[in-house]
Amino acid sequence: MSQQSLNGPGTGGEDEQNEVAATGGQTFASAQGADDLLDEIDAVLESNAETFVRSFVQKGGQ
Amino acid sequence: MKRRVGGLETEFGLVCVRADGSRALEPEAAARELFRPVVAMGRSSNVFLRNAARLYLDVGSHPEYATAECDDWWELVAQDRAGERIFADLTTQANERLAADGQDARIHLLKNNVDSAGNAFGSHENYLVDRRGEFTRLPRFLLPFLVTRQIVTGAGGVAAPADDEDGAQFVFSRRSDHMWEAVSSATTRTRPIINTRDEPHGDPTRFRRLHVIVGDSTMSEVSTYLRFATTDLVLRAIESGRTLPELALHDDISTIRAVARDLTGREPIALANGGTTSAVEVQQRWLDATATLVEDGDRRDREVLETWQKAIDAVATGDRSWAATHLDWAIKERLFGQVTERRGVGLGDSSIERLDLAYHDIDPGQSVFQALQRRELAPSQLSEQRIEAARETAPRTTRAHLRGQVVTAAQEHGVDHVVDWTTFRLTRPGAMPVQVLDPFATSLPTVDALLEEIRSLGGARSAGGTGVPGAGAQQPPAV
Repeated sequence: MSQQSLNGPGTGGEDEQNEVAATGGQTFASAQGADDLLDEIDAVLESNAETFVRSFVQKGGQ
Repeated sequence: MKRRVGGLETEFGLVCVRADGSRALEPEAAARELFRPVVAMGRSSNVFLRNAARLYLDVGSHPEYATAECDDWWELVAQDRAGERIFADLTTQANERLAADGQDARIHLLKNNVDSAGNAFGSHENYLVDRRGEFTRLPRFLLPFLVTRQIVTGAGGVAAPADDEDGAQFVFSRRSDHMWEAVSSATTRTRPIINTRDEPHGDPTRFRRLHVIVGDSTMSEVSTYLRFATTDLVLRAIESGRTLPELALHDDISTIRAVARDLTGREPIALANGGTTSAVEVQQRWLDATATLVEDGDRRDREVLETWQKAIDAVATGDRSWAATHLDWAIKERLFGQVTERRGVGLGDSSIERLDLAYHDIDPGQSVFQALQRRELAPSQLSEQRIEAARETAPRTTRAHLRGQVVTAAQEHGVDHVVDWTTFRLTRPGAMPVQVLDPFATSLPTVDALLEEIRSLGGARSAGGTGVPGAGAQQPPAV
């Protein structure tokens, strides 16, 4: 099986998350990642959010 | 069933907009553009691929991808992610053609479940169950689990509070508001939690299909995995004949809507017998009931139980630190909180609805979910190689392996063929169909003979260049 373990000792990413869970804190790295992410998201939301949302109308599926 | 076959059907939302966000193409025209390479290769907008999955255009111009039969839930997630990538590539190609044509038009494919007018479309889970298992007995036990499963596997989102049509609040699942019945044969008008359509795609004397249509389309691999892995465990507990949690609800539909809005998971839920329970309690009772079935040494099942427990705990304790980077609803809860604060808007603002759509956009350049993954704020459980391999390779432990071999051989040798879930046939006079009614079959003399015939008929030629790996024509579908 090639997926990363969800629970056992796994990749660095998982271990970092476990650290966060254990301390209940926020790592500096992911806080910075979040700011950078929010900048990226702003670019999507600034321009035409409302018009885009209104354009997305389809018949139901299923 | 210790081994169970399952599959996931995903209907995608489709919108084609100009740079200013206004609609450029109607959904029908956008779908035609999207499917152009599929039709060119398979002469149909309904094909089976080399990975044995089905790719087609469903009612309402919804592109749909149905994974092949899987008996391992991480394999199912890999096959599902492969489908996203195949459609993402088709989207990229369509957008390049539109741009080359000088059109101000960009197609977005959204792996979500509702458009801005409230039209719903689905993410349908299929589970093979034993014909002798008394299907009529299933819902009584399964419904309380499915009604509350959203606190673990919901995609999250924004909906009106129960008492205020104009307000907006965060919910575990928006799909809860689109459920109208507990069990029925309908899929659209009065959409049920469990659909009774009985198409086993296998020997009908041995098998039937359980069709669960209450689930949200999930972006997180962990959320998708938990949908199948926990439901499979609950089915195994029901099939075991052991004593089960008696948690039949007083009203499934009003409860599913209330559970969506109760982020504590602790509010009382009325039971059919007069008592009360809570969403957290229902999930915990089922986890505990299934845990007694799991052997200590079974790593696969242990992983399900441990992950399920973490997910329940995230709601029960309010400590979201694990969930906020692993489960869709909690990832969104954190993200929407950050964005509303930063922009000084409420959850009902159109920018948040746009953000929700961008979360489910499968275009790598547009996807907020993938932006989160790059920062390890959303999970990447499966390796890149495994997802890429799943685009071309069918699951090896089910009948999908046979279908994948037939489609691959027929394409490589340039032999016309038709394939569906149970039958493979060459399109030439006198060709006899090969039927495989056992979903667990991975090797059959009749299929070996068909593969031999394909090789003898065609000169080897390479496929490719169409962008749709392994498109093969297919008979008209029973959707």
